[in-house]
Amino acid sequence: MHRDRRFFAGLVGVAAVVSYLIYTGISDTMVYYLTPSELLTRIEESPETMERGVKVNGMLVPGSYVHSTHELLHTFVVEDPNDASVRMTVEFRHPLPDTFDDSGEMEVEVVMQGRYRADGLFEATEVLTKCGSRYEAMPEMPPQADVNEGVGGMIG
Amino acid sequence: MIPALGEFALWIALPISIWGCVLAFLGGRWSRGDLVLSAERSTYAITVLFVIAAVGIVTAFMGDQFQYWYVYNYSSINLHPFFKFSGLWAGQRGSLLFWGLNLSAFSSLAVLLNRSRNRELMPYANGVLLAFLAFFISISLFVTPPFEQLGFLPADGRGLNPQLQNYWMTIHPPTMYLGFTSFTVPFAFAMSALMVGRLDSRWIDVTRKWILTSWFFLTLAVIFGMRWAYEELGWGGYWFWDPVENASLLPWLVATAFLHSVMIQKSRGMLKVWNMGLVVLTFLMTIFATFLTRSGLIESVHSFAQNLTIAWIFLGCMVVTGGFALILIIWRLPLLRSERHFESLLSRESAFLMNNLILLGVTFAVIWGTMFPLLTEGLTGSKIAVGPPFFNQVNIPIGLILLLMMGIGPVIAWRKASPRNLRRNFLFPGAVFLSAAAILFAAGVRHTYALLTFALGAFVLTVIVVEFWKGTRARARIEEEPPLTAFLHLVRRNRGRWGGYIVHVGVVIMFMGFAGSAFDREVRQSMVPGESVSIESPFGHEYTLTYQGLSTSLVPSMRQTIALFSVQKDGVDIGSITTQRQLVLATTPPQPISEVGIRSTLVEDLYVILATVDDAVLLGSNDPQLQRATFQVLVNPLVPWIWYGGLIIATGALIGLWPGAGVPTRSRRMGSGFRAGAAVGAGTSGRESEASTPDSTTSAPTTVG
Repeated sequence: MHRDRRFFAGLVGVAAVVSYLIYTGISDTMVYYLTPSELLTRIEESPETMERGVKVNGMLVPGSYVHSTHELLHTFVVEDPNDASVRMTVEFRHPLPDTFDDSGEMEVEVVMQGRYRADGLFEATEVLTKCGSRYEAMPEMPPQADVNEGVGGMIG
Repeated sequence: MIPALGEFALWIALPISIWGCVLAFLGGRWSRGDLVLSAERSTYAITVLFVIAAVGIVTAFMGDQFQYWYVYNYSSINLHPFFKFSGLWAGQRGSLLFWGLNLSAFSSLAVLLNRSRNRELMPYANGVLLAFLAFFISISLFVTPPFEQLGFLPADGRGLNPQLQNYWMTIHPPTMYLGFTSFTVPFAFAMSALMVGRLDSRWIDVTRKWILTSWFFLTLAVIFGMRWAYEELGWGGYWFWDPVENASLLPWLVATAFLHSVMIQKSRGMLKVWNMGLVVLTFLMTIFATFLTRSGLIESVHSFAQNLTIAWIFLGCMVVTGGFALILIIWRLPLLRSERHFESLLSRESAFLMNNLILLGVTFAVIWGTMFPLLTEGLTGSKIAVGPPFFNQVNIPIGLILLLMMGIGPVIAWRKASPRNLRRNFLFPGAVFLSAAAILFAAGVRHTYALLTFALGAFVLTVIVVEFWKGTRARARIEEEPPLTAFLHLVRRNRGRWGGYIVHVGVVIMFMGFAGSAFDREVRQSMVPGESVSIESPFGHEYTLTYQGLSTSLVPSMRQTIALFSVQKDGVDIGSITTQRQLVLATTPPQPISEVGIRSTLVEDLYVILATVDDAVLLGSNDPQLQRATFQVLVNPLVPWIWYGGLIIATGALIGLWPGAGVPTRSRRMGSGFRAGAAVGAGTSGRESEASTPDSTTSAPTTVG
């Protein structure tokens, strides 16, 4: 079978361009994904971490949320998922996702992208909330009170 | 009773699918018509049984039968019947059954349409389809049982996530499943062709419409998903490069590549292995997407719960299917030899190949970006994140090359483009490109990528319009028809080709819509009633929004807080806009949800988000200070073009799909035929009945027999 060199040249050329774009894309945009305590440790080790953006996940501390009445500014506190003693205050200047709920009725994990400031505040540019129970990981059993109702004869 | 019947139907379907699968392959191997027929009837029977199962689930939802785990978790008594019905695909368990239902329906349709026309390929294809049906039936029975009971009857269900209670979200998933499942049919025929050893373009002829159908549904599904995100997620964007979004894009990208490279095989007998590879890859991508979406392995805003069993099952399915296909392809390599070779880089073949490579490049980049964090964590233990900046940085330049190819591919000559061909086809569009770029630059557009998108868009549109114009003119002259009739006949004569061009127009419009995001404007402000906020759009209009006040009311199942604005555009009243936050009480626990206010014009959207408000204190109070709230006001230029582009794409695909298009009619009426080679790629191949072989005879008369 005659090998078509141009075919392979094209293949290699495109592959090279795409690989280059992916490589530079990753190195330009990649950020570390840390917990608050990991972030603090890293900043202690190398303070320049502060310059670079970072993604942080933490558990929302119930009742910690306040918002300014005069500008779009949300402030809340997250704690380290593994170590509740490590806390971090977060500032966010965009609308919060709908599932952001600090009532404490359920555990809310917050994933933030942003920058840790020298004054100890985390300035988030992006906030996502993860609360599995909103989606599928719902408890298998409903509240016990319901169990005794309407069982007899209604099933089947 | 009916749900129980539904579950029973699934149990019966399992042995039938296995039985049918074995019979189909044996029947094909031994050329036993009775076995083949029995297998075909199994496929029909499974479809009926899946319908019964689906009716069972819908009945359980409609009848509030909360003793079923699935109904309990995805419905509640006061949920609108429309959303109760959509419970069939609202969650993992139902959606996998729904998947099976779609697959069985498509399988039956494929059998019905091909059993007499393609006796040779049908038995094996049916066997492959039945194997996948058995797979999905097993999942619904043993892994994610939709009919699992709680053992007691709760008083009410937990309600459907209010974010999913949206029109677009109701039609987005089924459209996606239609696209995913229908692609199993081309895959089955490809596998069948490999097993039988019939590797001419027969399997492609059989499946061309199927591929286009899947592509049509995938396209719509992706657009519906964007529309949903834009309306419902309330942050002003429509695409976030979230793993779940990426998952839906992957099969689409490969299917798009396949739709193009198939034309090369049809008209030039080249790229046979490549096409085989693409059909397998597209199919694998649908499974990979399912794996990504349902495993929960990759962090995503809206993924299903983590389910490692499902993850392993789909990963296993992918490996087994891929390995099986690979072995078949290697076994049949001698039969997949190219009939011709590439002659020049300046040829339509190269342009199409380039298109393919680029689309696969995007696919790879998207997979890489999506999987990279998982791989890094697995290999080095350090967690990193790759977000939208990565995907934009990589995909925008590739997308621009794709746009360029979209202008070159359709009109460059087959085999080897002569300087005359290049001049003839690209001189004018090239001039349009340069003028568009110059005009935009003069108008103050300094964003390189956006400027290139618009200028290249103008280039592609010019190429297409010229094609239509030349084709219509030639036909009008030769057939002596009035221009409009000539135009309609032209499109009707070769729907695949002209439909494809219309799709390209839609894609260009959509790309321009994406580029509009470079010029987004936004203001954020805290306001009390009576205060105004102004925002200037990039088109120079000034919107002034005056906050009229807030009203909070308790309606059944939710607390609604609505902010009202009157809107002035360039000083003229144009009406009002509302934006609201709702607290849906029907779910447990209550869930807040925003309904943004959107006011669309032809070229831009005014988008208002109610960001913060102390709505709880407001009930029954008229104090304006209490009505203080913060808003984010956005002007999203060209976003409407994304939806218009989507409509145009759908229209083009439908033209290509319309019955009768592309049915090989061998009779070429001599009287109306054009002179071969009269005008290369100038739309003169209206006679060509092969939908996906644009002017193969006219522009390459010496090589096509």
